[in-house]
Amino acid sequence: MKKKFSLVLALLLVSVFAFTGCGGQAGEETPAAEGPTDEAVEVSISAAASLTDALTEIQAEYAKESNAILQFNFAASGALQKQIAEGAPCDLFLSASKGHMDALEEAGLIVRDSRKDLLGNTLTLVAASEKEGVISGYGSLISADVTSISIGTPESVPAGKYAQQALQNLGVWDRVQDKVVFAKDVRQVLEYVDTGNVDCGLVYKTDALVLETGIIVADLPGDSHDPIVYPAALIKDSPQAEAAAKFFDFLQTDYAKGVFEKYGFTVIS
Amino acid sequence: MSIYFKISKKLDHFDLDLEFGFDQGVLAIQGESGAGKTTVLNCIAGLTRPDEGRIAFGERVVFDSEAGIDVPARLRNIGYLFQNYALFPNMTVRQNIIYGIRNKPEYGDKAKREELLRYADEVMETFGIAHLKKKHPNRISGGEKQRVALSRAIVTQPSLLLLDEPFSALDHQTKENIYEQFAEFKKIFRIPTILITHDPAESEMFADSRILIKDGGII
Amino acid sequence: MLSPILLSLKIATIATVFSFVLGVFFAYILNRKRIPGKSFWETLLILPMVLPPSVTGYLLLIAFGKRGFIGGFLLENFEIQIVFTWVAAVIASCIVSLPLMYQNAKSAFISLDPVYEQAARTLGSSEWKIFRTVIFPLAWPGVISGIVLSFARAIGEFGATLMVAGNIPGKTQTIPTAIYFAVESGKTELANRLVLIMTIFSFVLIFGLNAWLKKRNYIGRQG
Repeated sequence: MKKKFSLVLALLLVSVFAFTGCGGQAGEETPAAEGPTDEAVEVSISAAASLTDALTEIQAEYAKESNAILQFNFAASGALQKQIAEGAPCDLFLSASKGHMDALEEAGLIVRDSRKDLLGNTLTLVAASEKEGVISGYGSLISADVTSISIGTPESVPAGKYAQQALQNLGVWDRVQDKVVFAKDVRQVLEYVDTGNVDCGLVYKTDALVLETGIIVADLPGDSHDPIVYPAALIKDSPQAEAAAKFFDFLQTDYAKGVFEKYGFTVIS
Repeated sequence: MSIYFKISKKLDHFDLDLEFGFDQGVLAIQGESGAGKTTVLNCIAGLTRPDEGRIAFGERVVFDSEAGIDVPARLRNIGYLFQNYALFPNMTVRQNIIYGIRNKPEYGDKAKREELLRYADEVMETFGIAHLKKKHPNRISGGEKQRVALSRAIVTQPSLLLLDEPFSALDHQTKENIYEQFAEFKKIFRIPTILITHDPAESEMFADSRILIKDGGII
Repeated sequence: MLSPILLSLKIATIATVFSFVLGVFFAYILNRKRIPGKSFWETLLILPMVLPPSVTGYLLLIAFGKRGFIGGFLLENFEIQIVFTWVAAVIASCIVSLPLMYQNAKSAFISLDPVYEQAARTLGSSEWKIFRTVIFPLAWPGVISGIVLSFARAIGEFGATLMVAGNIPGKTQTIPTAIYFAVESGKTELANRLVLIMTIFSFVLIFGLNAWLKKRNYIGRQG
């Protein structure tokens, strides 16, 4: 019995190592003719969840130029900021809101000179498929045809904060406040809209493109809220500062810009 | 009233195939452990279903595989003393004993109910366990448990009494006392009884007729 | 701060009542004789215990959402909306605590010596009467464990609840939800207070259960 147990344990350990081994191969594809010559170091990048698809595509392309292994940590900007403040290993931070980056800058945790406003986004009104034709723009929100509007919780989700701002500035917030269903993140807003559990929602354009059954109604006027900016910066005294800086530069190439725009972001030159 | 019993049943290690009957008094069933004696009682009680056969209490057929009759255990009106007494741990001695009475339809009628309960008290007196009324089974001795279990089985005035090794769990001294009481009990209550025992001396003492089971059959 | 606490107590209590009834019911009928497909039903019952809460929440959304086969039906025919109400929270809490109730009740039932119900049967009791007077009273300590654990799980339920009930203060914002959003928005003091309350409450609950069980010494009760 004991012998059998050790055999099973051994098999488990072997398979665990095999899988971690597999995971590490992602960034290292067969090098092209010239072949990247840099070291295969691990670069830790914390990025807002909304950048997942774009960055994953860019990562595949970057692998042709560099041996560096990019370890992405996608989550809500607030959570990422806290992690970095608590000392989690990170070389580069891409935030979905100015506020979270400011907090880190004040705490002296970023390389100030490296900070850049990398991308922008647009606030978009989306609706459940049942409401096609019924909702034509933000003006429809006050009508009785709209019984529920979902946005991210303003205190913790940047998209939610902008959404609330916009609704306030457009003068409809007081009339629609009772209809608002706060979600814990943008994905949840999309889920509610896609499953028809809310009539409509406010999300970023980049998220709207991911909708399955829901429809895109219209962009909200850009001046109804603070500019949606994605600041990025290198983290101070990070383990792979050089490799991270190299990738940061890559994110500003024309190629990368093209990818970002494809996914709905606006690029701030 | 004559009891008729014919069953065949496939068990784990052998097949049971028996036929017997008796009119009154005590029938002792002897045999080694595992011979199938308890299965016989369970079939009679309706707790186990034979594969084939026929069981009748006088005119009343409670099981007939060909006619498709299978009267459920709770309607067969038999009293059963289980091998380890099976006294309900969550009830007092008195509650255990009157448990069966409460299921009788007469229980709903106030006068009849009083009668039944009085009978129960009498039985408890007869067996000398009335003073244990309020105790829980885990607080009484082996001999007392056996008498409580017996009381519980007969207080419903069953037409047949089944005793599964009623004396085997008792120590020697208690056994002697209980044997005496049982002889008295036979005289007073006169219920047709099937007694399972592996002790031939007990069979000698109490049985009016006996059968021996071996390898799934009667010899 | 009082509203999430009262709401949590109300939701967890109601959810536990349903868990209790359903858990005991299924534990009883699935463990009697050979039920066809027993393994299937049992796995289904226990599934919420192993699925990530977000998956459970999503499945509940599909079932009870406005387009769901249950939710949509209720909405169309009775104008009853389940999602984003405390009812959804009760359903979510009940589903995740049911496995605990079921497991405890099941193990209580199967550890009972079958001879007791046999004796009760020979004494004339119907199956329901046997359950009521013999099986359930004897299984009670195990069932009580199940109730307490269910309640603790129900009151701590977060992921699935958040999805189907949302975070509506006063209506569906339970303690765990309030804690989550307090942490997310940097209100650490509020978060700490709520966490403390929850911890003390759960501790007292489980500690009390163990003390009660020991005192009654149910282990030694077999007659």
